Amino acid sequence: MTLSTFTRLVSLPFRLARLLIWRLLWLCNPLTWIECVTRLWVRWFGLSQHAFVIVNAVRNQRRATLTVLSVAVSCGLLVTVMTLQRELTIPPESESASLRLIARNKVSLAQPLPAKQMPLIEKIPGVVAVSPFTYFGGNFREETITSFAQFAVDPVRFRELIVEGKVTEGDYEDFVRDRTSCFVGKDTMDRYQLKVGDRLKFTGTFYPVDLDLKVAAVYSGTVDDRNVFFHHKLLDELTGDLGTVGTWYVRVASADVANDVITRIDQAFENSSAEVRTETERAFQMSFMSMLGNVKVLTMSISAVVVFTLVLVTVSTMSMAIRERFRELAVLKAIGFQRRELFGFILAESFGLAALGALLGIGGAWLFWSHINLQKLTGGFLIYFEVTPRIMATGGIVAALLGILAAVGPSISVARTSVVEGLKTLD
Amino acid sequence: MALPLKYNFRNVFVRWRTTAFTVAGIGAVVAVFVLLQALARGIESTGGNTGDPRNILVVRRGSQAESGSLVSRDHFRTLQYFDEIARNETGEPVISAELVMIVSAPRREGNGEANTLIRGITPRGMELRPQAKLTAGRWFSPGHREVVVAERLAKRFAGFEIGGTIKAGPDRLAVVGHFDAAGSAFDSEAWMDADEARSLFDRDQYSSILIRPRDAAAGAALIAKVDQDKRLSLRAEREVDYYAKQTMTAMPFKILGGILGTAMSIGAIFAAMNTMYANVASRTREVGTLRVLGYPRRSVVLCFMLEGGLLAFGGGVLGCGVSLVLDYYVRVRGIFFGTMDFQSFSETVFQFRVSPDLVLQGLIFSVLIGLAGSFLPALRAARLPVISALKSV
Repeated sequence: MTLSTFTRLVSLPFRLARLLIWRLLWLCNPLTWIECVTRLWVRWFGLSQHAFVIVNAVRNQRRATLTVLSVAVSCGLLVTVMTLQRELTIPPESESASLRLIARNKVSLAQPLPAKQMPLIEKIPGVVAVSPFTYFGGNFREETITSFAQFAVDPVRFRELIVEGKVTEGDYEDFVRDRTSCFVGKDTMDRYQLKVGDRLKFTGTFYPVDLDLKVAAVYSGTVDDRNVFFHHKLLDELTGDLGTVGTWYVRVASADVANDVITRIDQAFENSSAEVRTETERAFQMSFMSMLGNVKVLTMSISAVVVFTLVLVTVSTMSMAIRERFRELAVLKAIGFQRRELFGFILAESFGLAALGALLGIGGAWLFWSHINLQKLTGGFLIYFEVTPRIMATGGIVAALLGILAAVGPSISVARTSVVEGLKTLD
Repeated sequence: MALPLKYNFRNVFVRWRTTAFTVAGIGAVVAVFVLLQALARGIESTGGNTGDPRNILVVRRGSQAESGSLVSRDHFRTLQYFDEIARNETGEPVISAELVMIVSAPRREGNGEANTLIRGITPRGMELRPQAKLTAGRWFSPGHREVVVAERLAKRFAGFEIGGTIKAGPDRLAVVGHFDAAGSAFDSEAWMDADEARSLFDRDQYSSILIRPRDAAAGAALIAKVDQDKRLSLRAEREVDYYAKQTMTAMPFKILGGILGTAMSIGAIFAAMNTMYANVASRTREVGTLRVLGYPRRSVVLCFMLEGGLLAFGGGVLGCGVSLVLDYYVRVRGIFFGTMDFQSFSETVFQFRVSPDLVLQGLIFSVLIGLAGSFLPALRAARLPVISALKSV
C-alpha cells in the first residue's frame, strides 16, 4: 500500500462528512427552496419575467446566500442599535407614572430635603398623596455593585402612589405593621428565588448603616418590578437623623393639574434653605438619561457606519453579480430587450436580495430580542429592549433604498456597454 | 514551494475596483471597533492618571466612592495625630479632610442639566495634589464663597467661566479661576474652601481624608492601622489604587465595542468571502495553470489566504487611519467628551485616545477577518480539478 492510498483511505470519512455537511446546508438554504419552486413553476406555466429574475438571482447560490446573510447581519445590527438608543433615551411610559411627580433638592439629587416640607406639599391643591422617597443604594448580600434599588418610603401613603402595582403574594398590611419588613418587586423575588418571610441584607453605600429586612409582600405590574421599598422610619432610626429625606414622591389628581402642582411646589420653597425642583417621573428619568451624555450622537454615528458598510457590501456584490453575466445581458439586448427592461431585471434582483436579507435580519433581531431575557443578562441595565414596529419599518426602508441604490451602478455600466462590447467580454 | 509575494500584491491591486468596496467595508468595521475601545481607554486613563503614589485616601468602609462616603470630625481628629503622617516645613501634619458634593448645573449647549462634582479642599489638599496647576485667574480665598473650576469642565457648563456664578440652591458661588490637572479625574471637578463648603451644603461630616505618610513603610503601616481599627470603620487605600479601580464607567463602551465589533465583523467576513469566491471563480484558469506548473495545493491555499489577509489588512490600515485622523482632529481642536461617572454620579470629562496598541489590535482584527473570509474560497481554489480548470473560459 503506497502512502497516497493510505492518506486517501484515512481522509475518506472526512471527505464524506464534508460532502454531507455541504449537502445539508444546501438543503436547509431557503434559496434552494425558492429556486425549486420557481423551476417547477416555469415547467408548468412557462417562463415569465418574474421567474426569469428569480432564477437568475439565485443561480450562483453561494454568492446570493452570502449577500443575503451580510445584509441580514447589518440590518439586524441596525435594528439593535436603534432599539438600544430608544431604550436609553426614552424611558417606558405608563399611565399612572404620568400622574406622579418627583421633587428633589435644587442643588442636586445628592442633597437631602428637610422632612418638614411634607405637610406643606400635602396642602397644595391637586396633590393626592405624598411620600418620602429616599434612595438607599445598598448592596444586596455579598454583591459588590448595587444591582437593584431600595427606597425608604412611608408605607401607608406609598400605597396610594403605586396604584398600578398589584400585591401578588403576602399582605400589604403586614408590610405596614412591621417596621423591619419590606415590599419587594416580583422580578427581584424571581431573580434570587426568594419567598415571603425571607430576610434580605443590604450593605449601605450612601448611608453608613446596613439593612436587615423581612419580605412581607410582593408586587408586580409596575414599569419596573425590581425595587425594594421599606419604612422610612427604620432608616431614620438607623441613621439617627429624623429630619431629612431624599426626595418627595407626589401623586396628583389628574394630568391637567400636574404642571400647576409643579410650579406651586417649586414656589412654596423658593428662597428657603432647601429649594426644590419638581418634575414628572418621566422627565426625572429622562434627565437621568441625558446625564449619560450624548447617547444619541453615539448611536446615530454607529448606525450611520453600519448603513455605510451595508451599502458598500451590497453595491460590490451586485456589481459582481452583473459582471458575471455581462455577456448574457448583451445577448438580451441583441434580441431586442430595452435598457429600461434590463434595468428592471437588475433592480428586481438586487431589491429582492436586499429585501430577503432585511426580512431575515430584522425578523431575526425581533425574535432574538423578544425571546432573550436581557434584564437578567445585563443585571437590570436594559429592561424592555422592545423592537418596535417603527424601528422595524425604518430598517426595512433602509434595506429597500439600499436595494435600489445597489442596482444603479451595474445598470449604468450595462446601459453604457454596446452589444458588441458586451458579447466580447470574457467574464 | 511558495508563490512569490509580488504575485499576491499585484492580484489585489489589479482588481482594485471590486476590492475597494470590500476594503472600505472592513475599514468601517475596524474604525468602529477601534474608536469605541478608544473611548473606553480615554475614560480609564483619567482614573489611571490620577493621584500621587505616596498619598493615602481614607473613606468610609463599605462606600464605593468618595461622594457616598462620610467621615466624622471625630475620626478626622483621631487620624490627625497618627505619627505615620508626614509634616511640612511649618510642622503641620500633611492631612486634608475634604467634602465632595454634587451640584446640578446647566450645560453650555442648553440641553438640560448634569451633575458636577464640587470638592471642598484645604491648603494641605492642594499641596497633596501638585498635578493641578492654575491656568487662569486665581485660587479661591479661604472663607469666601469662591470656586476654582477645572478648565475642561468649564467648557461644558454655563456660568463656569471666570466671573461667572454657580448656583447651589439659593446660594451663589463665584468662579475666580481655572485649573488644569493634566488629564486626571480632577479635571472633572470644581474646588472650593472645605469649611465654606460644609456650611454651604449644611454638612457636619467630611467625605474623605487624604494623607501623605512619612515614607512608604509608614504608609503601609497606616493602611493596616486604619483597616484594623474597629472604632474607625474606615478604609484606607493608596490614592492611585483608589482611582485606578474607578473603571466601571468605561464598561458600557467596552461591551458595546465588543458586541458591535463581533457582529459587524461577521458581516464583513461574509463580504470578504463573497469577494474572494468571485476572485477564485474568475481566476479558475490561472489556478489550473499554477497547478500544472507544479505548485502544490497548499501553495494555492496559502496564496488565496494571503490575498484575503492582504486585502483585509488594507481595510485595517484604512480604518486605523480614519481613527487616527479623528484622534488628531479631536486633539488639535481640544474637543472633550463627557459622560456620567457611575461611581460619583457626576459628569466626567475625557478625551478618546487611539493608542499604538489599539491600532495594533485593529490591524490584527482586520487580518483575522480577512483570513476567516478567505479560508473557504482558498480551499475551493485548491480543490479545483486541474484539467477542467484549464478548459474553463
